[in-house]
Amino acid sequence: MSSRCSIERPRGFCALGGASLAVGAIPGAVPIMHTAVGCGGSIYWTQLGATGYLGAGYVGGMAVPSSNVCEKDVIFGGAERLTEQVEHTLRIVKGELYVIVTGCMTDIIGDDIDSVAREFQDQARIIAVETGGFRGDGYVGYDLVLRGLFRDFVRHGEETQGDLVNVWGIVPGQDAFWRGNLDRVRDLLESLGLRVNTFFTAQDSVGSLETSSAAALNVVVSQSYGLEAAAVFEEEHGVPSLATQFPIGPTATAEFLRSVGAELDVSPRTIEAAVAAGTDRYYRYVERVADGYNDLDFQRYAVVVGDANYAPALTRFLADDLGWLPELTVVTDPIDDEDIRRNVVAPLATLESGLTPHVVWETNTTDVGRHLIELKGARNGDRYFDSFSPAFVVGSSHERELARNIGAGHLTVAYPVADRVVLDRGYAGFDGSLSLIEDLLSVLVKER
Amino acid sequence: MTYIDDRQPPKREDRLGTCTAFGGELCGLKKRFGGGCSMVDNERAFRQGSICQMIPAIAILATLPDTVVIMHGAVGCGGSNHTYQAATRSRQMLATDNPRGVQWVSTALGETDVVNGGEQKLRGAILDADARYRPAAIFVVSTCTPSVIGDDVDGVIDAVRDSVAARIVPVHCEGFKTKVMATAYDAVYHGVARTLMDQLEEPEYSSIDSTLEREAERLRRSRLVNLLNVSSMGDDDEAELSRLLRSLGLEVNIYPCFAQPENIRYAAEAALSVSTCPTHDDYFVSFLKDTFDVPYVLQHMPLGIANTSDWVRGAAAALGLEAIAERLIEREVAELQTALEPIRAKLAGKTAVVSAGEVRTLSFATLLHELGMRTLAVRPYHYDEFGAPAAERLVEVDPSLTVNVATMQPYEAVNIVERTRPDIYIGHNADSVWAAKLGVPCLPVYGGPNTYMGYQGVYDIARRLARKLANPSFNRRLAEHVRSPYERAWLDADPFSLVVQEECADV
Repeated sequence: MSSRCSIERPRGFCALGGASLAVGAIPGAVPIMHTAVGCGGSIYWTQLGATGYLGAGYVGGMAVPSSNVCEKDVIFGGAERLTEQVEHTLRIVKGELYVIVTGCMTDIIGDDIDSVAREFQDQARIIAVETGGFRGDGYVGYDLVLRGLFRDFVRHGEETQGDLVNVWGIVPGQDAFWRGNLDRVRDLLESLGLRVNTFFTAQDSVGSLETSSAAALNVVVSQSYGLEAAAVFEEEHGVPSLATQFPIGPTATAEFLRSVGAELDVSPRTIEAAVAAGTDRYYRYVERVADGYNDLDFQRYAVVVGDANYAPALTRFLADDLGWLPELTVVTDPIDDEDIRRNVVAPLATLESGLTPHVVWETNTTDVGRHLIELKGARNGDRYFDSFSPAFVVGSSHERELARNIGAGHLTVAYPVADRVVLDRGYAGFDGSLSLIEDLLSVLVKER
Repeated sequence: MTYIDDRQPPKREDRLGTCTAFGGELCGLKKRFGGGCSMVDNERAFRQGSICQMIPAIAILATLPDTVVIMHGAVGCGGSNHTYQAATRSRQMLATDNPRGVQWVSTALGETDVVNGGEQKLRGAILDADARYRPAAIFVVSTCTPSVIGDDVDGVIDAVRDSVAARIVPVHCEGFKTKVMATAYDAVYHGVARTLMDQLEEPEYSSIDSTLEREAERLRRSRLVNLLNVSSMGDDDEAELSRLLRSLGLEVNIYPCFAQPENIRYAAEAALSVSTCPTHDDYFVSFLKDTFDVPYVLQHMPLGIANTSDWVRGAAAALGLEAIAERLIEREVAELQTALEPIRAKLAGKTAVVSAGEVRTLSFATLLHELGMRTLAVRPYHYDEFGAPAAERLVEVDPSLTVNVATMQPYEAVNIVERTRPDIYIGHNADSVWAAKLGVPCLPVYGGPNTYMGYQGVYDIARRLARKLANPSFNRRLAEHVRSPYERAWLDADPFSLVVQEECADV
């Protein structure tokens, strides 16, 4: 609610954090922070504790060029400091694209960052985006940076290539598995014969971002993140977009392939062949875990806690593919827009399994347990009690406490990810779903 | 303490003349900044991400049990709690198998708050935190944004103080106000001193004849010391330092990290405060001295053999226990030297670069010398009078040692490491990776669950150094496969060429 006074243990970065992580995730791009002295450190400390041990990378972490404005800059203006900072950054740090991103202080005092960027336009590819922390969380910062890039960097007037698509909506850092997830989505779309820009993986480049206006379609793999950027892209470059659900599980993945394929007039035969191949591969593996699933009774009640991408996607997978009973789904974003809220959780009203999980939007971590008690009641010493057991909590590292309280298994998927190390793992698509089954069921057999 | 009546303590640039940017030889640093120099405002023409005073401030607050930390600011400030969570959880796990971690909330100021002010939100957040979590204390951490938009944070706190059960402690640590992140310690201790340090009530003595009881209490207090810890210490470090003080016949209470907030006031009944880091502790021990007449020792970090021995000597001398201390030191050092013997051969002549807070960095370099290693450069975050005793000791080892005063700034570190090619880099969390990418093995300069402090710490560091040096393959391979972000021209330039040295009138 906009009336909320505070958020307990917020699940994310500020806009500057989301923005700088996004820039740093583009191979060859260099963020330049124009902000107070500690923002770089604060963001990196957040990253070190919450994103599956994602390190600094090329020039992130404490190496991020940053103007580190102080009291006198806040009083007299920080543009001069930024100019000096950019000048030396271009001399010292190699980059193909420099993106100035701002913090609260410099946004509030209103430094003219666009003119600073313009001063250096003949020396380097450089743009500036206002991303002050008070503008929102890391998801907002991601969207702001994409908007800036689409408006000021992506080349105008490229000729459309019918088999080229851009994909976004999976947010670096906010999703610890973003690289794996984008890789899996790219694999899916390539199976339809498409060429794919994902901007934020090792396979992408500043060059492919620059010419991304040649795409026939922008696929936003989210009902919440990157939507405003999609509107800017369409306005600037005339490329339409399709916002999809985040596809976890063979059912959702098949739907994803069909909807993107149809939008691009891919032949039904190609689409169905891709769906069949992916589904078949998935079930050849799942077949071999069916013994354990049935002999050891791997079915669980579940609580799902995650952001607007993960919460509905995980719930749907658990319900419709894994045959679990997700009864409570908690979406943790501070999103107030009713349309977005409706779209995010829409799939949970029409699950094929017929289940109807209780959905809440909740930003306070300790309230997740309260919602569960309200929903399921408490034993109160009753001899016969239809308890929420055996149970499993799929959420973030914060949900370890809840899981232990209710004697449930637990897997961290959503931010913050402190108890897992994440490299190329992803949960999207057919292959990602196999990884997810491995990770979930491995928890159940850990003590055997 | 002349600041306790002020709402905020002064920044360390003003109070101590702390320097945050310098490159040169150790003796030059000492000469120029030995006692601080308020005229000096060195800077850098190129800067990288750094640490503001909010970060170490909330590192301390994250350790305090039974509290809620309210981050008053944009939603990102406070995110470093995700990292502090690990240390907090490990302490909580000593008492429970289901730790909660750090209990904190953010007022998450947004665009409308920037226009309309955040006072109403803060008020609501305090009331809500009190009702919801029933903590002993609520720390209100004020960040950059409320300061610039003009929120009256103290006014909000004063107005709700009587409506909440918890003590409310304001901590003013707006990042942009100081370049010296150690101002954080003053900000936290200032808040603690002003709100948690009530006068102690008289003990209840027997109404018939209390002479013996009074004498027993007097005796207890005469042997009671405050051991000041830091949030980067593990419980093994605390155990080692407590052991040493107990060996002198003393009783030890540990403050402030991991201490119950309602117990911090008992620091006032001790006979002595013993600092483990002058940079960290000076504000609080001075307050205890000025307000409760508790004397203090504030000189060395007990890191390394000589520093530990002098640390023990300092505490003992203040209480007239010199003779016991010398016997203890003699026995401890002899035992340690024997234990180190088999490891020494693996360390002899190995070279290092050290980077961290001023006292820790300079002390660590002396420790390496004691182990037969050679330090090629030290990179303290800042420098002022609290680093001087450690610098003095190090000047005797190597007056021309390269000093790079920098709060991180890895571009300078990379330049120095490329030039000096040390056998090992001893660095801070978030800093070492840049040496790692050059193929150098790294030892964390602090961090649980390892021991760093006292004699036990020396042994533990020695064996860990030997382990690190035994197989540096990971970083060596890494270096072959990562791309440096720096232009060759920078790596060839003088590492301090972008430090802008201001003239200092006092020298």
